[in-house]
Amino acid sequence: MGFEEYKGIWVVAEASEGRSTEPAQELLTVAKELSAKLGQSISAVVLSGTSDDTTSTETLLGQLGADTVYSIKHDLLAQYQSQLYTKALSDLILAKKPNIVLFSGTPTAMDYAPRVTVRIGGGLMSNVSELSVNDNGELDGVKSCLAESMLVSYRTDKARPQMATVRGKSYATGQPDANRNAVVEVVTPELSADLAKTRLLEVQAGDTAKKKLEDADIVVSGGRGLQSAEQFVLVENLAAQLGAAVGASRAVVDAGWRPHSEQVGQTGKTVSPKLYIALGISGAIQHLVGMRTSGTIIAINRDAEAPIFKTADFGIVGDVFDVVPALVDALKKEGSPVSV
Amino acid sequence: MNIVVFIKQVPDNTKLKPEQLGEAGIPREGVEMMVNPFDEYALETALRLKEAGGEGSKVSIISLGSGSAKDVVKKAIAAGGDEAFLLTDPVFLEGDNTATALALANAAKTLVPDHHMLLFGQTSLDDGTSQTGPKVAELLEYPSLTACKNAEITGESTLKIMRETERGVEFHEMTLPGVICMMKCDYELRTANIKGVMKANKTQIPVKTPADLGLSSEQVGANASTTTLTRLWQRPEKSAGIKVEEADPTVAVEQLLGFLKTQKVL
Repeated sequence: MGFEEYKGIWVVAEASEGRSTEPAQELLTVAKELSAKLGQSISAVVLSGTSDDTTSTETLLGQLGADTVYSIKHDLLAQYQSQLYTKALSDLILAKKPNIVLFSGTPTAMDYAPRVTVRIGGGLMSNVSELSVNDNGELDGVKSCLAESMLVSYRTDKARPQMATVRGKSYATGQPDANRNAVVEVVTPELSADLAKTRLLEVQAGDTAKKKLEDADIVVSGGRGLQSAEQFVLVENLAAQLGAAVGASRAVVDAGWRPHSEQVGQTGKTVSPKLYIALGISGAIQHLVGMRTSGTIIAINRDAEAPIFKTADFGIVGDVFDVVPALVDALKKEGSPVSV
Repeated sequence: MNIVVFIKQVPDNTKLKPEQLGEAGIPREGVEMMVNPFDEYALETALRLKEAGGEGSKVSIISLGSGSAKDVVKKAIAAGGDEAFLLTDPVFLEGDNTATALALANAAKTLVPDHHMLLFGQTSLDDGTSQTGPKVAELLEYPSLTACKNAEITGESTLKIMRETERGVEFHEMTLPGVICMMKCDYELRTANIKGVMKANKTQIPVKTPADLGLSSEQVGANASTTTLTRLWQRPEKSAGIKVEEADPTVAVEQLLGFLKTQKVL
């Protein structure tokens, strides 16, 4: 097929504006698996502004498995902008011809990865939860479709590089090896400000004390069974006790009790924490699609027939107003932090 | 302001039966279909921008799909859309999002050449790739913003756009023409009134083929796709869990804590 000249496995990290590179660290776990199978080296690409200090990120990416770090730096990359990031990364891909390029599943990566693939003529698998190398040495990806009810296996075998965005938490971050060092190569892209047809005006950072729903290991969600916005404090109390993020069903978001940023489900967020606790949530399919891949699912609901009990690993048929305070008390007595 | 909204007809997942989720592919025949949920917010945003844009503004609807997609297009007209086009041809349905993006980019250029912005839903319920909007933008060399929750007109050719990302709520200025992909917004969706429904019933929906969009056989369907599907299967159902019906909450909680310990989450 004439793809022999494409070599190497890349993982991409956006490191400007204080973005976490944790999602990219997860990518190195699967990159190592692919590297072992293909016998190809791993490179991490870090995009950031000239004045962003990325030294510790680069060191960590090396310790987690990257052989080379391409640190793409430019003043115009100090703020994420799709057309500038697309050009900076596309130019490097065209110059170096990697075989595989992996992006994290963050809103930022998903914003520009599709543009990159059009620009360089490759294919992109979206939001995959599993990657493997098939007998022909091609990259196979598995993703869910039809609102999480089906799984599809597919590949981007018609062009190189083979690219994918990887759903967060599909792979655990590996242990850094303090003896590993990546070769860091600073790359200066050719960019000009007039390429950018959007401009960031303002960022309102969320409450930083609050756990982010999509990053949390434990999520406690509440539904209509909480009966009012005020009584949602029950959900917050349990979440606080567990160090969990707060989620909500569509019904309570539509009722205005909680912001849309907390909505779990079809028109909200898809989460996959290790522990998901659904309080007073009946379990309409629109909610289930947002949480059914969670590790352990607990449901507390008054209605013994509620569909949520079909998805729950452990369910308590009971009133949230009785059970949740008892649970909070028991956890306080237990005193042991949760070990997820 | 001339606004194009792309609308997709998708299976209504709340009405699907397990036996319809076979290896044959995403079911599209013999199942109830609906408007892709995020596309409803794209349409609502477009209608609001049209109202704000004043005299001479219009909303054009484009849908790529089978003949039955006419239903969702008519609904969009009833809600306030001005005109609509249906891209229907068996070969269109064989394409992945790369092929679809090429068809939609060409459709926007040829069918609504005087457009100022293109609106999409953030992702589709069936394929769920979230790629089509940014790919259309790249093909047309337009700016694009995804994960958007609001858009307002701030000048002759500028919009202020609110989006939600891992950093929080962001506000951006976009120079038009451009592509915007909408998430669920904080505003309510409008429902069609009787006048709208009557208008929709009278509106002719032109059907366009690849040739009408200037696309050769190399530029559509599998030939223009960059992915190959190898297998499709139903997500395995979880086995039934434990259900405690216990009048004393402290006893129920004790059992729950015991369970969490066996699962090693406590």
